[in-house]
Amino acid sequence: MSAETFLLEIGVEELPSSFVASALGAMPALFGAELDNARIDHGAIRALGTPRRLTLLVEGLAERQADLAEKVSGPPKAAAFEEDGTPKKGAIGFAKKLGIPVEALTIEDTDKGPYVFGRRDEPGAPVAEVLPELLARFFGRIPFPKSMRWGDGHIAFGRPVHWVVCLRGGAVVDAELAGVKAGRASRGHRFLSPAGFDLDHADAYVERLREARVLVDPAERERVMLERLEAAAAQAGGAMIEDAFLVGENLSMVEEPHVICGTFDAAFLELPDEVSIGVMRGHQRYFALRDAAGKLLPRYLAVVNTDRSPEIIIRGNDRVLRARLADARFFVEEDRERGLEAMAPQLDQVVFQAKLGSVGERARRLMEAVADDPVAKEAARLCKADLVSLIVGEFPELQGQMGRFYAERSGVDLEVARAIEEHYLPRGAGDGVPTTASAARLAVAERADALVGCFGIGLVPSGSADPFALRRATLGVIRVALEGPIDVDVRATLAAAHAAYEAQAKPVGARDEVLQALDEFFRGRLRAHFAAELPGDVVDACLGAWAGGSVRDLRARLDALDAFRGLPAYEALAVAFKRAYNIAKDVPPGDVDAALLTEPAEQALAERWRSVGARVEEHAAAGHYQEALTLVAEELREPIDRFFEEVFVMVEDEAVRTNRLRLLGSIARTLTAIAHFHLLSA
Amino acid sequence: MEPSRRPTDGRYGDNPNRLQQFHQFQVILKPAPLDIQQLYVDSLVAMGTNPDEHDIRFVEDDWESPTLGAWGLGWQVWLDGLEISQFTYFQQVGGIDCSPISGELTYGLERIAMYLQDVDDVYDLEYANGIKYGELFKRNEWEWSTYNFERADVALHFRHFDEYEAECRRLMGLSEKKGKGNALIWDEADPLQRLVLPAYDCVVKCSHLFNVLDARGAISVTERQRFIGRVRHIARGVSEAWLAQREALGFPLVKEARS
Repeated sequence: MSAETFLLEIGVEELPSSFVASALGAMPALFGAELDNARIDHGAIRALGTPRRLTLLVEGLAERQADLAEKVSGPPKAAAFEEDGTPKKGAIGFAKKLGIPVEALTIEDTDKGPYVFGRRDEPGAPVAEVLPELLARFFGRIPFPKSMRWGDGHIAFGRPVHWVVCLRGGAVVDAELAGVKAGRASRGHRFLSPAGFDLDHADAYVERLREARVLVDPAERERVMLERLEAAAAQAGGAMIEDAFLVGENLSMVEEPHVICGTFDAAFLELPDEVSIGVMRGHQRYFALRDAAGKLLPRYLAVVNTDRSPEIIIRGNDRVLRARLADARFFVEEDRERGLEAMAPQLDQVVFQAKLGSVGERARRLMEAVADDPVAKEAARLCKADLVSLIVGEFPELQGQMGRFYAERSGVDLEVARAIEEHYLPRGAGDGVPTTASAARLAVAERADALVGCFGIGLVPSGSADPFALRRATLGVIRVALEGPIDVDVRATLAAAHAAYEAQAKPVGARDEVLQALDEFFRGRLRAHFAAELPGDVVDACLGAWAGGSVRDLRARLDALDAFRGLPAYEALAVAFKRAYNIAKDVPPGDVDAALLTEPAEQALAERWRSVGARVEEHAAAGHYQEALTLVAEELREPIDRFFEEVFVMVEDEAVRTNRLRLLGSIARTLTAIAHFHLLSA
Repeated sequence: MEPSRRPTDGRYGDNPNRLQQFHQFQVILKPAPLDIQQLYVDSLVAMGTNPDEHDIRFVEDDWESPTLGAWGLGWQVWLDGLEISQFTYFQQVGGIDCSPISGELTYGLERIAMYLQDVDDVYDLEYANGIKYGELFKRNEWEWSTYNFERADVALHFRHFDEYEAECRRLMGLSEKKGKGNALIWDEADPLQRLVLPAYDCVVKCSHLFNVLDARGAISVTERQRFIGRVRHIARGVSEAWLAQREALGFPLVKEARS
């Protein structure tokens, strides 16, 4: 039985890049599952493609399905046959399901008693007979972000299908997809090699397409594209600004990548770099270039789909970019003429959320929340103003950066200007946090405002639905506190945000309920954040003792407990603390009566605790958890071990028993205030 | 050939690339033939552009008109980085699935003329022998920009919106009320008694009145959705009424038997 390479090429009208990505990403697993289901032996499956074709290449596709030979377990004998062996419904149905006569069923003893078994034997069919139906099913399952209909509108796919090549080795597989009969006729590059051609063999596919000016393997196309980009950048005396988005977009817009290097008027370099780069990137998918000193060059690289007449193509692209940059300059000049100061009042016309009012009201709440910091307060007044600028209308991703630019150009204090930009940080994972205390305060207040507002009106994230990105906002607060210049008191910050809403008479619900819900929400995000670096029970132990205020206090507890876990005394102490906590937790607190301490081991422990306990508490109260736990490890290990070895706590004498429990309870309470040791799993 | 008006794009004639009114050459092919892309490329040749000398690309760009409940998938066509056409396969109009699917090609005439004449400023285009585009349209842009942004009578536009909306419903016999699942309720049951085409004019008028009010800054973000909803409602009415009317007439333009 000979195995051969299998080829499926679906030729389409230009697919968007996200469509190609989604289809190629899913195709190997989808097709592999279909083949496995159909018992068709095969080797590696690769998905290749360009905007105009989606291709599967399967190594070593068998000629026939594998034979089916399996023993299937059926119902218990009692449910299938009468005492006298007459088949009941159970046996008849089971045999029918297998497609065999009832007489072919056998009875076998199993652990659970006698059961009915049957065999299913089916010789494999030639794959040529199986593939048409299999391919049609597979075709219908290729996923796209959106499907379209065309022609008479009965078929839906990412884009209209024009040709289908389907070969097993050198033979055409008889299939029909989207009303197009499969054959061996493929097509090359739309403009560079427009004549169609026949493929003799599936193995020749990639090479033949290369000849027809199509680099069908995305990895090869990317390599070639990057080589050409880098060469062109070097020739222009600069380096590309790296941009994975642009690489992906350009890669999926061409079948054979070529690169041109264009030029724009250096006068446009007066625009903020972000704007020029935004124009090149967002509108035209161009790569911007910087020189060795990091200065933007008046040059750009464009990936094009042809190597013909580059000078004509450069001229055309130069002209387009000139018009685009002129448009952007027009926006920036208009914006500067109007000024950030004049934009701010217009925020009253921009809705933040229907029940929570305008963005202008939001800005005033932020001013209230950071009122103690004059720089942050002034930044709060202006930080959203650029949302109504023309340039941010055109490039929403420049919010903040343009606000800072306009602020600096109109003489606003530089620290205020910086806070205007940085209050959006971090925008996502991998992004930096604000660099000044004022910017950090505003960044935190901005997120607290969104959190309290949304929770206050019941817009709470559920499952994967989080339309206001509240999880990201929460993580932002956590990261600002941990990585930024200031700590954050979560509860106080949220309470201040709530007070600002109440001062505006917004319907954000009762303070304590909202803060309670947000406390739980924060704890969930903190758990998720720290669980990436520490065991879950350690995080839970610290969260349990943490009061919901300072984020850095929680960090200190985690660091201390983590260090404590590394000490040789840790295991014994953890066990002892748990025991102490468990037996003493119901005892009302009270002073230990020295006169009732009779055993030497309890006297030793009590004495040690008398000399150490207060110091441990002092350290803990100051947030020096590591010092507190080190002291505990050094001083308590020996006496507490000895106590549990030598002293029987639950004696008959109630006074003695209570006294002993009070000693343990006192130790347990002090330690539980640092971390909930009883929640540790080991 | 259609003038296309976008009040919010007005720039008082100061911007060399943006106009509140420009011109589109629109081609509808119904049903879209399978070789529509090739036909389009051939049309560039007719325009005087040799596709073999240029970088021509089909870049994803879907089209949607929320007010008309219409959308389609397709591309903007780039010629050396310049967007010269919009290419759309219509999927829905007035909330009704299209069958068959039409292909719409929209050529932006000012853009294409600027490219062919090699000018950077739309007002420098030669419109006819010795007459510049600016001589014809610059004052036009300034007046309409001033009107749309500053001078249009807001109360009058709101009133006209209400009136044309009511007129539209009256001409079709469409109730103001909606049924279950936003279903349309018809006071006029006979499809042939409804004046669908004049009603459609009213929809277009409402849509434009809305755009002017929007440019005038008279519609808040919350009201915006409500106004879009009102236009969409009558647009759906016209679409359903049109379909019902054609059906009542036996789809006279559909020559082959529908499968």
